[in-house]
Formats: sequence, structure tokens, C-alpha cells
Amino acid sequence: MSSKWIDRIYIGGFLSLLIGLLLFFIFEPKTIFSELENRKLQENPEFSWSRIWSQQYAKDAELYVTDHFPFRAEFIATKSLLEQARLQKENNGIFLGEDGYLFEKFGKPDLDELGSYVDAINKFAANHPETRLSFLLAPNSVGMYPERLPWMAEAYSQRELNKWIGGRLDGGLTFLDGFAFLDHGDTESKQDDRQLYYRTDHHWTTFGAYLAYRAYSESLGWEPLAEEDFHIRTVSDSFLGSYHTKGQYGGLRPDTIEVYEPKNPVASEMHIVDTDETSDSLYDDSYLSKKDKYSYFQGGVHALVTVTNEIASEDADLEKLLIVKDSYAHSMLPFLTNHVRDIHMIDIRYYNGNIGDYMEENGIQDALFLFNTSTFVQERNLLKLKY
Amino acid sequence: MVFSSLLFLILFLPVVLILYYLSPRRIKNLMLFLASLVFYAWGEPIYIALMLFSTLTDYLFGLLLDRKGMSGKGRKAVLIASVIVNLGVLGFFKYADFLIANVNAVLGTAIPPTDLPLPIGISFYTFQSMSYIIDVYRRDSKAQRNWIDFATFVSLFPQLVAGPIVRYNTIAEQLKDRRVDAHMFAEGVRRFCIGLAKKVLLANNIGLLWNEVSAADSLSGLPVLTAWLGIIAFAFQIYYDFSGYSDMAIGLGLMFGFRFNENFNKPYTAISMTDFWRRWHISLGTWFREYVYIPLGGNRKGMTNQLRNILIVWLLTGIWHGASWNFLLWGLYFGVILIAEKLFLLRLLARLPRWMSHLYAVLLILIGWVLFAFENIGDVAAYISAMFGGNGIWFDRHSIYLLYTNAILLLLLVMGSLEWRGLIRSVQARLNGGIQNRSVADDITGSDGTRKAVNGKPASVVLPLLGLGWHAVLLLMSVAYLVDATFNPFLYFRF
Repeated sequence: MSSKWIDRIYIGGFLSLLIGLLLFFIFEPKTIFSELENRKLQENPEFSWSRIWSQQYAKDAELYVTDHFPFRAEFIATKSLLEQARLQKENNGIFLGEDGYLFEKFGKPDLDELGSYVDAINKFAANHPETRLSFLLAPNSVGMYPERLPWMAEAYSQRELNKWIGGRLDGGLTFLDGFAFLDHGDTESKQDDRQLYYRTDHHWTTFGAYLAYRAYSESLGWEPLAEEDFHIRTVSDSFLGSYHTKGQYGGLRPDTIEVYEPKNPVASEMHIVDTDETSDSLYDDSYLSKKDKYSYFQGGVHALVTVTNEIASEDADLEKLLIVKDSYAHSMLPFLTNHVRDIHMIDIRYYNGNIGDYMEENGIQDALFLFNTSTFVQERNLLKLKY
Repeated sequence: MVFSSLLFLILFLPVVLILYYLSPRRIKNLMLFLASLVFYAWGEPIYIALMLFSTLTDYLFGLLLDRKGMSGKGRKAVLIASVIVNLGVLGFFKYADFLIANVNAVLGTAIPPTDLPLPIGISFYTFQSMSYIIDVYRRDSKAQRNWIDFATFVSLFPQLVAGPIVRYNTIAEQLKDRRVDAHMFAEGVRRFCIGLAKKVLLANNIGLLWNEVSAADSLSGLPVLTAWLGIIAFAFQIYYDFSGYSDMAIGLGLMFGFRFNENFNKPYTAISMTDFWRRWHISLGTWFREYVYIPLGGNRKGMTNQLRNILIVWLLTGIWHGASWNFLLWGLYFGVILIAEKLFLLRLLARLPRWMSHLYAVLLILIGWVLFAFENIGDVAAYISAMFGGNGIWFDRHSIYLLYTNAILLLLLVMGSLEWRGLIRSVQARLNGGIQNRSVADDITGSDGTRKAVNGKPASVVLPLLGLGWHAVLLLMSVAYLVDATFNPFLYFRF
């Protein structure tokens, strides 16, 4: 073999690789939705001179090629592997932690901004003195398990931050710091291997939500159901959640999703006001076969949901409750159906009405604000609360 | 469009190559010109008119310069007119807002800024176009009668947006007549793969480290180790980004039969600042030497004039990099150092051991990059202070984290900055010698003379074969990173 042959291989190899990829790209059937990344892929951009002029066509076309590139999943996995081989411990803002845990980076928040969110809650409590208000602030996995971060990696302490928030709250509401009951839950049960958080997702597990439910019930003087009062069933053991989607790490152990089914079931009717859909189940099984499995709980995020539970009046702890929340509430809501007859659940990110008016119109006297620390510190929509 | 995009790689490049090689010889330049227009219009549909305007005016000025019976005075007037048009356009689009902001600040006026985006590549193609006019004026080149050939020279997509700045007289012959053989095309493929990998695998990834360090809440808390890691990351990012782009340009040029001059020559092995600037962005340095420094008198009119000329060239070099005070300061910084070297430092450095003069060069280069990286002079001062312990912290957990998670990449970056050609040649020579004892089954004809051992035996193909695998892996890895690219900014678009 001479160097002449090697030159020919270079030329043939280079051209056939590029042209081969091009042919694959052209003839490969296109998918609309990427399960791996949990997002809609770019569609074939429509041609028009105005779109050329505004450069929108160019941007969309670049995205279209990247999104539908031949062997996309394999290339992404290769990159992830190479990044790990070079000892890189983060990708797209997601840490590759110990014990298979992924964590989202959490830096020092803007305390002035955060203070204004806390003040919004204070103001809401002051404007509604007749309302019995609880504020449950759950840490994220990065706050709970800082020792599982990669070696020498740092995150701003959510433990300190939650304390700071608690200290800034006025009286007139009950503050439940997630660290108080989650710490406790882990040690009291003497089962350190029980997961409070998903390893690959930003939510807490159903067990974490159960501990929150127990703490909330006790704070109101209700008697929470014990774990023995439930059939605990695994509904999925192949859950790779949002941290996996963002970080794109390969070779991770999938998470398990559990559901707690009360041995004395309560019939519930869920009404999704956004779409005017009604269901007799709090769960949507169809999501278990998709990437976004956490949406199994109530079918994901909705601006306003009401849940009516068939509990005899004399057995109910409460007639009406309003929950203002982020998605951490989704796995906790089913527990509350054992105590409250009417639950109204508002996602403040998508609901644009006035919360105070809503409570008045529906005769609600009890409210639970439930947020995780990470969304709370950056949730500008909380400022809507003031009124 | 940029080279480091998948659309360019699998659509634009193969299609243009096929069309180019299918075209008959006399329309090959037209083909390249049209491809270049598409390439440019992809990102800048509006400014394509501006580029065509520059091209057309300089084409006409060129014809005027070459007209029979044109007096010396007339020719000079044409030259000046062309320079005014070129620098006027460049000045308006690149420097008007900088000027307005400073006038407003000094005089307290409120002239509204133009807020026009900088046309991509304008600093590069304006300089190329000017080189043509000056070459023709000096009669170093003949005027180009064929507008398509001239427009191809200015807009040639491989070097259109980020250089190298090709001087007209180095390429005039190739515009008319050029041939590509298999060896040349294969060399182009090799250069392109290397350049792509430099940009996508090295520059983009170390850029993340610089982003993280420079995005710190305040520079006044930066530990020494973090500050050094940051600026080293920036130095590598800018080198691999820019030289990677030049490699891709040179490689693509070879595929279409052009031989551009080299733009980088292992700049971080420099042993003085004078040495560094012979190795860094060579085409820009050459341009300023040929068209500013030497016409000003260069070193022929006494020491005072020479020092003045050096200072002028470096202030211009600085401001060429961007319309902002820190770039001017950056140019001045190098001007002063180069003058000091000319006056006495070089003689002093020559007496030092090589590693010490290398250390001297690297230190000054890194401090230069701090000037380059921050537009705000206060930030520059704070960063340099952090590097030299001004914050009173040597390192913290975060520095250690950044160090070990980037250690392997940094090692690769250092290796890539060193000179290996000598070693490769001697290994090849040894392999060629050793092959005498082995039977060479295939190929005894050895018609390709380029890799033949001196003793007449065919050269060993061990290294070329390893190279083949290496380039293939680099290309595939680059594609993998591009597919996953959430971070693929292009630095040299500001110039």
C-alpha cells in the first residue's frame, strides 16, 4: 500500500461519510417528538422570502438538521461518554453525583429578589387574616444530599436558605421547612436506602411526598394515615427524568415510581378546568409509557384543577382547601384526598386570576403554599400573590 | 453559515464540492462565487449588498489604476478614493457607535447610536479588497479584468468570515489557473478535520471553563488558582477557535485548489513577544507590515520614526480587533513591549535559558488576554490583581473542582500547542530505515515521490495509516459534539 492509496481513502472516506449522512438524513423517516429529550423536534422549515430575510429560515433549518441528524441518539451517547472519560462532572448544568444521583446546579440566589417573593407571601397572609395558611418549602435533592455532589463540587446551602426564608416570614402562617420532616423521615424509619428524591429527576419520590403529607397533617392536628394503611405499588421501574433529559448522561440506573393506594379507597373526581376534562382517577397511566413519567400524577401541570372526594362530612377533616404550588404537589395531592372533600389546586405559573378573589368566590378558608426551593427562588410569578 | 455546523457539513459542503467538480473549467469560479454568496447570505441576507458594493467599487478602481495613460497623480487619487471608500464603510459599520458613545461622553451630547449589527467578516474582506487595490497601485499585480474572478477572490467562502486575510498577489495566479490532485485534496481533508476538532472538541469545551470563571459574582473574590485557570482557558479557547477556523479555511481552500498562506505557527511556543507575533494571526501581521508599516518608512528612516511606526501599527492592530477602548489598550500594550524588545529586551532574553524566555513570553501573552477579554478597564485591573494574589486567597474548593474536571482537557490543549513535526519526521525516518528488512508486498512501483525513503525503498505507511484512523476519529467525535451542541458560539464574529 502506498501513500497514494491512503490519499484515496481519505478522499473516498470523507466524501462518502458526508454524502452518506446526507442520504440518511434525507431518506430517514422523521419523528416529531423526541422521547429521549422529551421535546418536540424542529419541523421542516417552511420556505418564504420573508423568513429568509429575517434569518428565521436559517435558524430553523440548522435546528432541523441537528434534531433529525442520523444516529442522533448514538452520537449524543458518544459525547456523554467522552465527557465522562475526561472527568467532566457536569453537562448542561447537571452534576453527575455519587450513587447514581444527578443534581441541578444551585448557586447563590439574588437575596433581594428572593426577599420580595417572601414579602409577597407575608402580604398575602396580612391581607387574608381569616385564612388558615401553611407554607411548605421542600428542598431539592441537591439541598438534601450535598455530600453526594461530585468531589469538591459546591452548591449553595438550601438548608441555610430555607432557614433564611423562614426567618423572614411574619407570623400569621405556619411554615413547614422540608428539612425538618425529610431529615427525620430518613432516620426514624431506619431505612437509609429509602429514596426521598428520584436520582434522575428533579421531583421528590412518593415516599418524600408521603413524609410531607404526614408533617402537614400533624401541623393541622389531623391524624395522618400510616404507611401500613396503603398498598405500595411500583408503577414504573424505567423512569429517567428531567435531570437525565438535560444532562444526557448514558448508563444511568432508572428510577422507580411508586404509588400509595389506600386500603380504604376514597372515590375522587378530578376536574381539569383548563381543558374542562373530568376523570375519576388522579393518575394518567398513559404517561408511564412516555419519557415524562412524573406526569403520571394528574397528567402533568395544569393551571387549575379541582378534586372532589367522597368522604362523609363527619369523617372529613376539612371541607375545602386551596393549594398554590409547583409540581412537587402532584405526588402529595393524592394523600390529601383522604382528609379533604374539596381540593382546589392552582399553579401560579399558569394561573392568571386573583388568588384572593378565587378563595372568596369558592368560600375557601384554608390554603397550602407548596414549593420546592429551586423554583421558589426564581418564581417571579409569586409576586402575583400580593393582592 | 459557519463551518462548525451540521448543515454545512452534510449539506452545503458535499453539494458544493459535487457541483464544483462537475462544472467545466471556465465556470468553476462562477460556481464558487455563487456558493460563497449563498454561504454569506445564509447568515447576513441584508449585508450581501454591502459586500457586492465593496467588490464592485474596488473592481472598477482597479481597472482605472491600470488604464493606459493614467498619470501618477491620477493613480494616487484613485488609490486614495478607494481607501476612503473601504475604510469609510468599515468605519461606519464597525466604529460609528464607538465614536458616538465617546463623543457623547466627552461633550455631553445625546447623538443616538446607529445600533447596526456588524456585518459578518467585514474586517476581513475589506482588508483583502484593499490589498488588491494597493497591489495594483504598486504594480505588484495586474488589475483583474474579469469581475467574477475578482468577486470570487473577495467572497471566497473558506476565508470569507474569519480569514486568513489573503493578499491578492499571493493568489492571483491561482484564480486564473489551478489544479487539484488527490494528494492536495487529501491534505485538505486532513487540515479540515484537524481544524474542526480544534474548534468543536477543544475550543468550545475549554470555553465553558472561561465562561464559568468570568461569570463569577465578583472578581474581587476570585482565588489565585481560579484566576489563572480562567485566563489560561481563555488563551486556549481563542487560540484553538481561531486557528481551528484557519485550518478549516486552509483545508477547504486545498479542496478547491487554493493554497492559502499559514495563519498560525504554534504561537504558544514563542520565546518573546516579537516571536509570538510572527506566529499568531500571521496574515494580519503581514497585512499591516506590507500596507502600513513599510509604506510609513518601516525601519529605514531612523530609530524615532521606526518606534513611531511600530506604535501606529499596534494601535491599529488593537482597534482592528474591536471597537472598544480595551482593544486599543491591548494594541498599545503589545506596541510598548515590542519597542522595549527592539531596544534592549531581546538581547537580554537571548542570554537567558530558553525556558525562562518562554515563561516571560507566556506571562505577557496571558496578561494581554486579560486586556482582550474584559471591555471594562476596572475588570481588567481586578482580574490581574486576582491573578497575583490581590484577593488574599490561593484556592478554594471550587478551584480544585475546576482544575480536576478540566485537567485532561488542559493536558490535551498543552500538547496540541507544542511542536511535534520534528518528532514525527524522525519517527518516519526510522520506520523508513527499518522497513528494509521486511518484505514489501504491495506497491513497489512507488510512483508517488512524496513519501519515498532516501534509499529508494517505499516509505513506511505506518504513520500515515495511524493518521488516517486519528483523523477519522476526530471527525466522528466532532460530529458527536456538534449533534449535542447546546453551546456553539463563534468568537471571531466580532471582528
